[in-house]
Amino acid sequence: MSGFVAGLLHPLALPAHLLALLALGLLIGQQTAGTRHLSLAAFVAGAAAGLTAIAFGVGQTPAADVLLATAFASGAAAAIGRQLPALACTLLAAIAGGALALDSPPEAISIAVATATLVGTGLGASLTLAIIATGVDCLTRGREWNWARLGARILSSWIAASAILVLAVRFVRGQMF
Amino acid sequence: MDHTAQPRSGLFLTMHRWRAVAAAAAPVLLLAAPALGHTGSSTGGFLGGFAHPLFGPDHVVAMVAVGLWGAFLGAPAIWLLPIVFPLVMAFGGVIGILGIPLPGVETAIALSAVVLGTMVALAARPPLWVAAVLVGGFAIFHGHAHGAELPPGADIVAYSVGFVVATGLLHLTGIAVGLLARWRAGRIAVRTAGGAIALAGVAFLSGLG
Repeated sequence: MSGFVAGLLHPLALPAHLLALLALGLLIGQQTAGTRHLSLAAFVAGAAAGLTAIAFGVGQTPAADVLLATAFASGAAAAIGRQLPALACTLLAAIAGGALALDSPPEAISIAVATATLVGTGLGASLTLAIIATGVDCLTRGREWNWARLGARILSSWIAASAILVLAVRFVRGQMF
Repeated sequence: MDHTAQPRSGLFLTMHRWRAVAAAAAPVLLLAAPALGHTGSSTGGFLGGFAHPLFGPDHVVAMVAVGLWGAFLGAPAIWLLPIVFPLVMAFGGVIGILGIPLPGVETAIALSAVVLGTMVALAARPPLWVAAVLVGGFAIFHGHAHGAELPPGADIVAYSVGFVVATGLLHLTGIAVGLLARWRAGRIAVRTAGGAIALAGVAFLSGLG
């Protein structure tokens, strides 16, 4: 598998990353079009910043914990089902993007493969988030109450519950920060 | 306005029926032995987490009862309870993971089956906040039991997702069955199921389950 493809699939292969993307997608998909576009752009910018930091050899970071925290915050906010202020949603997306990128250091030994992996990771995560958010928007748009909206909120609460449990276990096991 | 009139339907619990329920439950609670139905699973990964709630019959019947009751109560409870329960349960789970002791966890779990099953059997319709507090209170104990039983070394993300998904699916199963209450025969069947859950809870409380 080439470095680019490996990077592309990386966010889908790690449960914690998938959880965070799903939670954020469920949250962003329930926002207005303006907030949604802004948040997606913020995620891409955050991911780009995080990947650039990795490329410049940033050391150990608490990115995994921050990512889980964003999964909890996104899931809880999406479960509540109310519109978030655009700034809050955008910030959350930017932090999630940065944390996901920083938690994806490539294991390649050559610079070319590592670069391709990083680019693939950024693209894969951004595309996944955009697809989830767009799908949620399409399914829940324009109706005050429907089964899809309800399903999205239930799923969000499940993700938030999972994320907080994982954070607690990491804390107890001394794996946090 | 006639304030003495029975609200909406005769299926509501009147005060003397509440007292009867409390009187019937009191001896059982006084004699209650710790319920051992919640044995859990010790394997890690998604399947381990998914199987964990399913191997505790007291947990299973209580989760199904939450769904049944939500369906009985109708909107907004039908969707509020399955959203609130996992979040509150996770809070209880965190307490359990952190090792903070909670007294009478197994008894409370068995009691949740008794209370929630009784609510369904009697078609009780208290105010939404009462239902939410009742279900949320029990959720803390269910979560604590799960949190305290998390296996060491498990792939914790996959395990947690499996465990939460299984719990949620149990709720949805209860809701799906509870939707039968739209029909008269279904209503009888759902209330009977609630009665069976309450009896199972009594068995767990008395150490028979």
